[in-house]
Amino acid sequence: MADRSRNSSRSSIHKNNTSKRNTKTDRRIKRKQRINQNKVKSMKLAVMMLIILLAFTGLGGRLYCLARDNRNDYQKKILSQQRYDSKTLPFKRGSILDANGTILAASEKVYNVVLDCKVMLSDEKNEDPTLTALAECFGLDQSELRKYVADNPNSQYYVLKRRIPYEEMSPFLDRKNEHNAAAAKNKDMGIINGVWFEEEYIRRYPNNTLACDVIGFTGTDNNGTYGLEEYYNDILNGTNGREYGYLNDDAALERKTIAAADGYTLVSTIDANIQAICEKYIKQFNAEHVDEEREGLGAYNIGLIIQNCNNGDIMAMASYPDFDLNNPKDLSAYYTEEQIAQMEADSTYYDTLNSLWRNFCISDTYEPGSTAKAITLAAGLETGRIVGNETYDCGGLLEVGGHKIKCNVKGGHGTLDVSGSLEMSCNVAFMKMGEAIGVKNTLQFEQIFNIGLKTNIDLAGEPKTANLVYNEKSMKSAELATASFGQGYNVTMIEMVAAFSSIINGGYYYEPHMVSKIVNSNGDTIKNIEPRVLKQTISSTTSEQMRQYLYATVAEGTGKSARPAGYAIGGKTGTAEMVPRDKVNYVVSFIGFAPADDPQIVIYCVIDRPNAKDQAHATYATGIVKNVLTEVLPYLHIAKTEEMTIAEQAEVDNLLGNIVQGDASGEASSEEGGEGAQDSDAASGDQENGQPGADDGTSGESGGRPFYVVDPNTGELIDPVTGKTAEMDYSMDEGDDLPDPAGGGAPVEPAQE
Amino acid sequence: MARQLVAKQPVKFRSSKHNMDYVLLTVVLFLVGFGLLMIYSVSSYEAGIDYGDSAYYLKNQAQNTVIGFVALFIMIKFPYRELQRLDVLAMIVSAILIVLVKSPIGITRNGASRWIDVGITTFQPAEVAKIGVIIYLASIIQRLESLGKNIIRTPKGLAIVLVPPTIIAGLVYVLTSNLSSAIIIMGIAVAMVFVAVPDYKWFVAAGVTVLAAATALITYVANADTTGSNFRLGRIAAWLHPEAYSTDKAFQTLQALYAIGSGGIWGKGLGQSMQKRGFLPEAQNDMIFSIICEELGLFGALAIILLFVVLIWSCMVIANKTVDRFGALLVVGVMAHYAIQVILNIAVVTNTIPNTGITLPFISYGGTSTLFLLTEIGIVLNVSKNCR
Repeated sequence: MADRSRNSSRSSIHKNNTSKRNTKTDRRIKRKQRINQNKVKSMKLAVMMLIILLAFTGLGGRLYCLARDNRNDYQKKILSQQRYDSKTLPFKRGSILDANGTILAASEKVYNVVLDCKVMLSDEKNEDPTLTALAECFGLDQSELRKYVADNPNSQYYVLKRRIPYEEMSPFLDRKNEHNAAAAKNKDMGIINGVWFEEEYIRRYPNNTLACDVIGFTGTDNNGTYGLEEYYNDILNGTNGREYGYLNDDAALERKTIAAADGYTLVSTIDANIQAICEKYIKQFNAEHVDEEREGLGAYNIGLIIQNCNNGDIMAMASYPDFDLNNPKDLSAYYTEEQIAQMEADSTYYDTLNSLWRNFCISDTYEPGSTAKAITLAAGLETGRIVGNETYDCGGLLEVGGHKIKCNVKGGHGTLDVSGSLEMSCNVAFMKMGEAIGVKNTLQFEQIFNIGLKTNIDLAGEPKTANLVYNEKSMKSAELATASFGQGYNVTMIEMVAAFSSIINGGYYYEPHMVSKIVNSNGDTIKNIEPRVLKQTISSTTSEQMRQYLYATVAEGTGKSARPAGYAIGGKTGTAEMVPRDKVNYVVSFIGFAPADDPQIVIYCVIDRPNAKDQAHATYATGIVKNVLTEVLPYLHIAKTEEMTIAEQAEVDNLLGNIVQGDASGEASSEEGGEGAQDSDAASGDQENGQPGADDGTSGESGGRPFYVVDPNTGELIDPVTGKTAEMDYSMDEGDDLPDPAGGGAPVEPAQE
Repeated sequence: MARQLVAKQPVKFRSSKHNMDYVLLTVVLFLVGFGLLMIYSVSSYEAGIDYGDSAYYLKNQAQNTVIGFVALFIMIKFPYRELQRLDVLAMIVSAILIVLVKSPIGITRNGASRWIDVGITTFQPAEVAKIGVIIYLASIIQRLESLGKNIIRTPKGLAIVLVPPTIIAGLVYVLTSNLSSAIIIMGIAVAMVFVAVPDYKWFVAAGVTVLAAATALITYVANADTTGSNFRLGRIAAWLHPEAYSTDKAFQTLQALYAIGSGGIWGKGLGQSMQKRGFLPEAQNDMIFSIICEELGLFGALAIILLFVVLIWSCMVIANKTVDRFGALLVVGVMAHYAIQVILNIAVVTNTIPNTGITLPFISYGGTSTLFLLTEIGIVLNVSKNCR
């Protein structure tokens, strides 16, 4: 019914009302009402539509204005709040391995846990699962976390934990993935959100102090300091990757990621086991002599190098005092807190650190003393000025160029042949040899043996020593005489090792080196560093002869105390008196090779001013060498060739049986110390009439650092006393006194009968 | 009878079989498809981060859309006049559902209880209330008019018409803290009454009163210290000075403005928005229009507005042509619903009015709203089959 009426009324709107005839009054009224309604409806709809259109027009206008007026402004704002500035993806610095693959230094990726409260709170439901997971995975206090979040709901960078390894970080990631997968199905759970991990690499040295001076250290800036870390800095470092955004032609942001290229790994020639043995006995020596004569360490410096004499590989290079590579600025082992505070106050703190970090074995120079007699003799034999059948009379004193220079034995050695001269370390015999060789040949062989030149070992901090050795101008007869037994000029340990290796290995001068191979992060070899023979210093016959003499020196002469039981070795001791020549401070050393018939290694130990009442005993050095060789030679599978007495056997067993403790060997070495007193070969004779200059000699008083210091900026040597660049004025007081390398004018060798 | 009309009026090709409004359907299909596209574009970045699935929101919305279209086609077939029986029931059901948000099955998100959990899914009772109010008013106005010409204009009639929607709106505002839905419900009611009665002056008076009250409030907020006052006043303050509240209250608004402004005339291109990458959180909801502006520019935005105008216009034409009072009023209610929601949404996004959460019909993400919007379209199409 309603339908019908509506339909009819609908037609009646457009058609004529009069066409309907049978309409009752109420229907008419209703129709009128409907017509009325529809009129009202149409009108009202039109009005409503008008209002709507007006609203849309207004909004369209507003949009247009926004786009027109603010386009550049807002575009800038958007771009400025985008983090399209690039983010660095850190590379991993390469490791340093020893010859056996033991890790000496490695970079480790660590993570900082960062909480972004704002992101986390973007949905309140996230707070619970996120904080619970953080507390449980990282052992944090949840109530404290909640307090922080409540106090700082807008904080975007809150570091919860620093430098945690991957193993500690990954459980959280697993948990997050698990939880969020579950949360995707159940919306009420809330997701773990707003936690991210900042990557960082830190350098770790698993062996702490082992080979500290050789390895050097690296801070978080990936900039190596000292040693291999500095020398191979560029190779160890890779290239940072980058994640960056840029605006393309359409001013749209594009992101790009370039992965980081990790640095190369160094395979060092160092054998960590040999290195550890060396350091053990150095420390043992230190422990025995600490505070003995003066307050302080067992010696100002102790250096020990073991080199493969047949290819120049450095197998161990140890020095003391050492430091913890993981904490290089820790001086607490050597100084009290007050002393450190004092150093910081008078700004000597970094000087102290630098002297601690410096590698004694390559950076410090000293007069070699009698160990240089091997060089003198080799030069004499090679030039033919000495043939081997000479004899020398030693009366305990020789007058050269107006100086009377004494031998180490007051009464003289009597008549000695060549071998005996070396065995007894007779200064008079060697002065005569020096005279026979002559200035020209001496200087030539100084060159040939690379004395005064850098060895170019691949370590940072090797100084130029050219002005610490003689030249044609500075070398007169007196200088020639003292130089023949190793006084008057300065060397570094590595120079001596390289030169000595060539003397005993058949004459091949190998460039000493620390790194045998460079590999990339996948372990592929990038570069093999082959041994480099630089020159032939002496003939193999001369070398053969030298081996004989040096063997005899250990077997029969002053080097006896260096021989490990069961082995035949060769070598030469040295006891160099330091400037001022007041018979107080000495550098004692031993340089040797093993085994005597087929040299495999060269070992050189230098002790700078041993902490003892009477320093002038090479036994301090030979003791260390003997202990080290006793352990190292079997380790290198070098067979024993000599018979051993029961006492020797017991001693070796004791030593090797107590490798960890090292107490028993301490006994042995101190025993030898007593015996060695007779072996001492003080290089300079008695200084009966020390010049007064010796007393005022500030250089002597400075005591702490008689060696030249290398200026890190210029590479020049600096006189530690004056702080100025050292200049060797060899021309002064020509022919008068022994040249004093300190340049302090304290004459060395007053010639007085 | 209908057949007779067809025979007499062969001019309209649309009427050849049945005159369902295909323009309207086409526009809706386009808007829904466009909405899905934009939801993917806008939400993929955040969905990828939060859920590890960049299509997370797209999949959900696609599911909602399918359900919505099922409802739409049911409503095309369903004899809409049967809905008239539901009038009072619709009000009661709406009220009960709204009250249920405070019951154990109610869900509180971001501090507002707006959802209830019905086991298989969750939905917003406020969306049900909107369609409920439309059905109730269309029905009750028709009934009152059939009783007498001016009953609706008497105080009693006005009370019968307006009090139940006001109660519903009040419930929505008080229980779900959803001012925008309350405004929409009241707006729908006023628009339907406006079309039903011949008067103007009362509406003009009411409009002027509302404007005056709004002006007074704004003046008060502009001069008062708003720190520590309630969050709606804070929103007004943020609306007046968005730059001053750029880090908190006006952050979203300002970021939306940046998005709109930076889009320019032609936009940055689909998918090229920068603001959706973390600066406009959950932009797939209320703020989707700003991303449309950013990606498609003023051109794209005006094109979308034009589509909504066509949609509303089609509704108006259907309402105009429908002789059936109930059907026409239903269409008027739906039309008012769309118009109010679109206008308020764009006004919010452009910071023309203070920020309040209103979704953009057919385009914004949201299951309940999509379902009921498409249901309403189904009703309108059904009515359109029966118009002249």
